[in-house]
Amino acid sequence: MNSWEYSESIESDSIVSIQSKYGHYYDGGFTSPKSKEYLKTVSPSSEEVLSSISIGNEKDVDAAVNSAKEGFKVWSKTKPIERAKYLYKLARLIQERSREFAVLESLDGGKPIKESRDFDLPQVAANFFYFAGWADKLDISWGTKEMKPYGVVGQIIPWNFPLLMLAWKVAPALATGNTVVLKPAETTPLSALLFAELCDEVGLPKGVFNLVTGDGSTGSHLVNHEGVSKIAFTGSTSVGKYIQNATADRDIGLTLELGGKAANIIYNDAAIDQAVEGVVNGIFFNQGHVCCAGSRLLLQEDIHDEFINKLEKRMQTLRVGNPLDKNTDIGAINSKEQLQKITSLVNEGVKDGGQLFQIECELPTKGFWYRPSLFTNVQPSYNIAREEIFGPVLTTLTFRTPEEAVEIANNTEYGLSAGIWTDKGSKILWTADRLDAGVVWANTFNKFDPSSPFGGYKESGFGREGGRHGLLSYLKVKS
Amino acid sequence: MSNIKEQTLSAPFTWASTLEILEGVKVDEVGVKDRVSSLATRSIKRESKLQALNYIVSMCDLTTLEGEDTEGKVLQMTAKAVRPDPSDDEVPSAAAVCVYPSLVSTAKEITTGTNVKVAAVSSYFPSGQVPLESKLLDTKFAIDEGADEIDIVINRKSFFEGDYRKVFDEIVSLKEACGDKHLKTILEVGELKTYDNIKKASLLALAAGSDFIKTSTGKIPNGSSREACYLMAKAVYEFKLKTGFSAGIKVAGGIRNSKDAIRYLVIIKEELGEEWLNANYFRFGASSLLDDVLKQIRKLKTNAYQSSYYFPRG
Amino acid sequence: MTEIKKTYKNYVGGSYVRSESGKTFTVELKNQNYELPLTSKKDLRDAVTSSKKGYESWNKLTEYNRTQILYRLSEMIEGNKESYIELLQEHGLTKAAATKDVDNAIDTVVWYAGLADKWEQVTGNLNPVAGDYFNISHQEPIGVVFTLNSSDVSIDKTIRSFLPAMTVGCSVISFSENNSVISLKLAEDVNNSDLPEGTLNFLAGDFSKIIDDVSRHVEVNALALYGKLNKENLKTINENASTSVKRVFNLPSEEGLSSVLPFIETKTVWHPKGR
Repeated sequence: MNSWEYSESIESDSIVSIQSKYGHYYDGGFTSPKSKEYLKTVSPSSEEVLSSISIGNEKDVDAAVNSAKEGFKVWSKTKPIERAKYLYKLARLIQERSREFAVLESLDGGKPIKESRDFDLPQVAANFFYFAGWADKLDISWGTKEMKPYGVVGQIIPWNFPLLMLAWKVAPALATGNTVVLKPAETTPLSALLFAELCDEVGLPKGVFNLVTGDGSTGSHLVNHEGVSKIAFTGSTSVGKYIQNATADRDIGLTLELGGKAANIIYNDAAIDQAVEGVVNGIFFNQGHVCCAGSRLLLQEDIHDEFINKLEKRMQTLRVGNPLDKNTDIGAINSKEQLQKITSLVNEGVKDGGQLFQIECELPTKGFWYRPSLFTNVQPSYNIAREEIFGPVLTTLTFRTPEEAVEIANNTEYGLSAGIWTDKGSKILWTADRLDAGVVWANTFNKFDPSSPFGGYKESGFGREGGRHGLLSYLKVKS
Repeated sequence: MSNIKEQTLSAPFTWASTLEILEGVKVDEVGVKDRVSSLATRSIKRESKLQALNYIVSMCDLTTLEGEDTEGKVLQMTAKAVRPDPSDDEVPSAAAVCVYPSLVSTAKEITTGTNVKVAAVSSYFPSGQVPLESKLLDTKFAIDEGADEIDIVINRKSFFEGDYRKVFDEIVSLKEACGDKHLKTILEVGELKTYDNIKKASLLALAAGSDFIKTSTGKIPNGSSREACYLMAKAVYEFKLKTGFSAGIKVAGGIRNSKDAIRYLVIIKEELGEEWLNANYFRFGASSLLDDVLKQIRKLKTNAYQSSYYFPRG
Repeated sequence: MTEIKKTYKNYVGGSYVRSESGKTFTVELKNQNYELPLTSKKDLRDAVTSSKKGYESWNKLTEYNRTQILYRLSEMIEGNKESYIELLQEHGLTKAAATKDVDNAIDTVVWYAGLADKWEQVTGNLNPVAGDYFNISHQEPIGVVFTLNSSDVSIDKTIRSFLPAMTVGCSVISFSENNSVISLKLAEDVNNSDLPEGTLNFLAGDFSKIIDDVSRHVEVNALALYGKLNKENLKTINENASTSVKRVFNLPSEEGLSSVLPFIETKTVWHPKGR
């Protein structure tokens, strides 16, 4: 028997230069933290300390918000077409330095280089290009001129797509004439810090883009700052609820993009091989650290065995390992905490009676890793079928009829995304109409585009990001 | 190199079960393209590349199928198949040569006593637009001349007319005529166009008893494609699940460089598995691919880019 | 002040109902006093149940059908125009102001009636995504909406507090306080306009009595506050709403396309294009 193993093909990290310490970025430059406190950012694939980043306290946040207020005075008077040009320039610079950014994302966050290179970075640039073009067309975007920017927008982003989430937030906010105070995730701040350098490079007026790094306390200071008139948050539902609660007595704009537990419905008349691919992409993309991940596989009963057989075979070909290896499909779990959460939920699933399949593969000795996992024999009442795991763990449920599929799919407090697989067009439309989900992928999954609105129903949040609808998150109706 | 596999499908699938699998065929074009382009990003470097290049040589069916073919031309090519790079003993022989029936005996003069097989195209390659009787005569002649393998074309006329039964029956008859000779059935995927058609034709050919399914005659502009190879691999896998029989795949038509060929290998490795990575289960039909592969092998070994004049003409 | 008291009931699920608590409150107008139900928490819960059913019935209708029913409502109001003018005068408006308000109200209903089968064409769109995909942002109603009417004495304003949500297919629980007589009178025309039961419900009373319950009720999908609230009440509402990520709209737009935007969920559907 032959064996043809792929040799290591490592993307060199010599292209990035990471400083040993970073300040916050506001008033058009980097400043040491008033808190005088730092935290270490670690590479999840090697547990190596990459750098120290500043922890923003109340004073740091206050300085950044004030910078953004000053910035707004300039930015709101900047001609729309000039705003557009800044964003176009940012898009170009990102394209030019995309390899550097991609390596940084993989180092700091643990995602495979093939994803940061082929997905994250092209999407980041595309978002800046897309929203640049709206900057001078807001008057025709919704057929009314009665819209105006909020002013200072506080944006808090997660660690799963660090730079892409920055792009989703910053590009539309700046295009619509707001200024920004961004707080990147505690574990993945490096690409945002490099982005701040680009803002300098394009000569963005000072105070338009501001960055405060730190942990949850920093985010909380930003949320509670009276000078912020709009909060855009992507992250967990529990933090989203906290933010809605914390801002209860303020007349503030709020966009929440929260958790999900998406159903990926496979009807028995689907193109099975492509459905298997879609399911794999739906849950194992970015280690399953995706809020819209298709984490609940809903299989029509009569194809259960065939499908699971093909799925397990396909899963076994997934390559887990060094994120900088170009042949890696599944990188590192973002942090120790996340790994613990995944592990404990999976253990609970096994205890509940779920049958667990995990692929056979060697895991690196250092770093945080989890084998792609599949649960079958699961009841809808098990926690693994209800709670967002945010890891490479897929849970299978079965159904008999389309009605039942919809019922199970909607039987959750979440409503972010859903998948439908069938060869029958009318069944797609029937099902899509009945799913409580902001994004429905039919015969595909986990596709994104700057022109395509994204956001949830129910407790997956409110507001949309992307597309013409995404503009509404950063414009308020004049009153 | 191991010998041609002994196993062959014990009895053709019944028409009823064949119909059933054909009806189940559903393919999403965009999904297929997505998967195939993602597989194309595999980065094959150093040892794994050298290994792949050697595989490719050993899987090559060196082919000449022209009206102008002569004994002299076929002798040259066959000699090259037996020893592709006389200056490097580590380079394996090609899998086979592929010629018209009238030139089989010429090729056999050189391959006798080697591992290199002689394949003949028959059944009125490349169009197949004759009655079955003529196809059978064509095939029997090639076998009598000593062919080890027979490459036939499916009846596209009947396929497009919706007469799948006729396509099936013809293959069954030709397989019977082949006896223990290996039957490779050419689908001509560039004519079938849609992915549904390619998958259906693959399963039809397999159910009728083909040992291999093959992409193209090489006589049309869009002969092979990685997407077609992927679909054929899916069909082979599905058929194995149903029957336990492992069929082979031959890709031919337009594969001209090593990089492209390696991408085909990746598809086979990841979709079917390691046991398909040998000449018993996977072949490249090619005329100009081999030289590029030989150049690449020597480049890897010497770290200098090569010219084709280092390698004998085929 | 005369002693005659006219009694109005809440309008829930297509029926006129008293408060289950039996409690009432009195609104004193120029010539007549009105005895109105003081909505209780239980009344609110019943209204939510009715609205959920109403939402389904309203949504089963075609947009064309909804347009006709809303247009019918304008005809009903127009038919009773004089009585509305009188009622507004009772509230203290001049005849001219009252007439203008009723005329405006009729125009408003006609405007929204015509929007019911068009709003999705102006709020939804195809998205030009890169790659071989069909991608459409389809619009859906948000569900059961609770609206707090402003305290202005105006039929037009009252209508503008529930029609935007209804136009896009939501069912509405419309709550009014001191100007409840207007909405409860409107209920009569609503009842005669072929609206499915439960689609539009009118409650009267003291908002502070139900503020906690309505903002906690998970089956109320959104709160639209057209009446101005003090900071403390707003805080209570938002805090309660956060437990289920409920949508709260404080002083939303009352005219034009922007008035319906809060009540829409955008559902974006992707599908590959292939052979």
